[in-house]
Amino acid sequence: MTQQVNVEEFSDAAATYLDDDGYPISFPTVVKPVEGGFIVEKPPYISPKKKLTVTLNHITPLPTGGYTERRYVTMRGEGEDRGNTIFFKPLKLQGWDEKKKPFFQYCEERVPQAKRYTSTLSQMLGRLIKPRLPTLQLLFRATRFPFLIATAAPVLMGVGTAAYKGLFDPLLFILTLVGASLIHLALNMTNDYFDTKLGADEVNVTPTPFSGGSRVIQYGLLTQRQTIGLSTLFYVVGIAIGLYLAVLRGFIPIIALTAVGVFISVAYTAPPFKLAYRGLGELAVGVGFGPVIVLGSHYVQAQAFSPEAVLASIPVGILIALILYINEIPDAPYDLAAGKRTLITRLTKEQVLTLYKLLLAATYFMVVLPVAINLAPPTALLALLTIPLAVKTVRSVGETYGNPYLMIPALAANIQLATRTALLHAAGFFAWAALTYLL
Amino acid sequence: MENALVSYLSFVTPSGDVLTVPMLPLYSRDRKRLYMTSSILFSKKIDYIRKNPRVGVLFSGSQYIKAPFYAAVHVKGDAQVYEEDLHKGWMWLVELWRKKEPYIDAFLKQRVALPLFWERAVIEIKPQEILFWENGDVQREPKRWRA
Repeated sequence: MTQQVNVEEFSDAAATYLDDDGYPISFPTVVKPVEGGFIVEKPPYISPKKKLTVTLNHITPLPTGGYTERRYVTMRGEGEDRGNTIFFKPLKLQGWDEKKKPFFQYCEERVPQAKRYTSTLSQMLGRLIKPRLPTLQLLFRATRFPFLIATAAPVLMGVGTAAYKGLFDPLLFILTLVGASLIHLALNMTNDYFDTKLGADEVNVTPTPFSGGSRVIQYGLLTQRQTIGLSTLFYVVGIAIGLYLAVLRGFIPIIALTAVGVFISVAYTAPPFKLAYRGLGELAVGVGFGPVIVLGSHYVQAQAFSPEAVLASIPVGILIALILYINEIPDAPYDLAAGKRTLITRLTKEQVLTLYKLLLAATYFMVVLPVAINLAPPTALLALLTIPLAVKTVRSVGETYGNPYLMIPALAANIQLATRTALLHAAGFFAWAALTYLL
Repeated sequence: MENALVSYLSFVTPSGDVLTVPMLPLYSRDRKRLYMTSSILFSKKIDYIRKNPRVGVLFSGSQYIKAPFYAAVHVKGDAQVYEEDLHKGWMWLVELWRKKEPYIDAFLKQRVALPLFWERAVIEIKPQEILFWENGDVQREPKRWRA
């Protein structure tokens, strides 16, 4: 146990014992490691009890206020008085070093403790005590609201390809966007519900803002029932909008695409399909956020499918699938433990990165090809502006691969890459439509 | 106590062991009480203090205490835990907290990112005896004040 503690790493030490009056008493001290324990300096007028606690602590104060580099270790053990010193033999040890265990992980590992505490407190106070967030913040977190950009991009793509053909109805566009977004929010909450039930989110102690689920169930902010209830509500309203659009613009194609979209969103994690658990999640997301949303949005505007929309749906589908693909990297050990065999868990690091590069290359190829064969306007090439970001992101993902917290900037960069590329691609169609209209 | 960035909070476990953890101390001159807040994530200490409110708090380490002169101080006190409102019941201490960690407001704005960390109980310590080592010299007997 002595070898586990490097005294040099700490800038302060204190020894504590229980005084005769029943209060703990501490004194500042100096601790030196020796064979089998530590030598603890002691003032001559103090006679500690045999049971002793020694705490080593360090913080680095910041010139602007506050501190960083927190670490401490508390050792409980037995002390043997040797005059001006005590020979201290530690028996129990606890502590934290934020360099070795990031603060977020440290907090995440203590969630069961927080749950036990609120449960005991609820019994003591005779009312339910649970963590809270303001309603909007709770919904923001529970639905993973910022990820809606992944729906906005393909909807804009579908509407953009229709605008390119001279067809654009803003009201239908808003209805499509709201309907698709509601189904996406429902998907996120369904995913949380089933990942909790199937254990993948439960075992994850290194979630990031982009991976590991919303954690609202794990934190006790929402119950499983509330989560699936809200999810159902989003599905009902989203499907109702889909039905309305189907009645308005073409029943069979829109109903069919809505049905496929809803099916993919549920089957993504829900048994018996559990597509994400079978290495099919990435493909499902690519199809759902690519052809399904793009063609659906296009059809609502144009009341017909078009080769332009079909081709434009491929890059955005790949890009949104790549958001999921890279976000799965930090979750991989926990997914594997829970039997969630995502594509990442089936490939080596080198294979993951090679596939990532290939899919990005395919995305840019599918931006250029339709322009070359006159099925997209030249302005669609705006999407190529993100190539430098793509190169930087690939490097960043490779360098931080597998370290959940160091990966956060790479995860964010990958999301930016995907959404910027898709939005620029859609903007290319809108820009050409505007130019044609004006000129 | 008003200038220390960190202190050692010691409390007694049901098995009679003493546990010590570093804590940010917040001293209220108006109330003449020492305050600390504990996230529910790290709430074992709350359970222990509820069962045995006798605690000790040591202020030591000249590098952690921004004061014109340095002294090590140990406070023996009786603790009371306030946990009726974990969500907001500690917010009145933010003013004292801000003086030691100016970036606290930025963290609070991001409460949604770490919701459980910001559910906090308040530990109020009424000093019963204070031991004072001038210049942190523990070789000499401390001066003592009793409540």
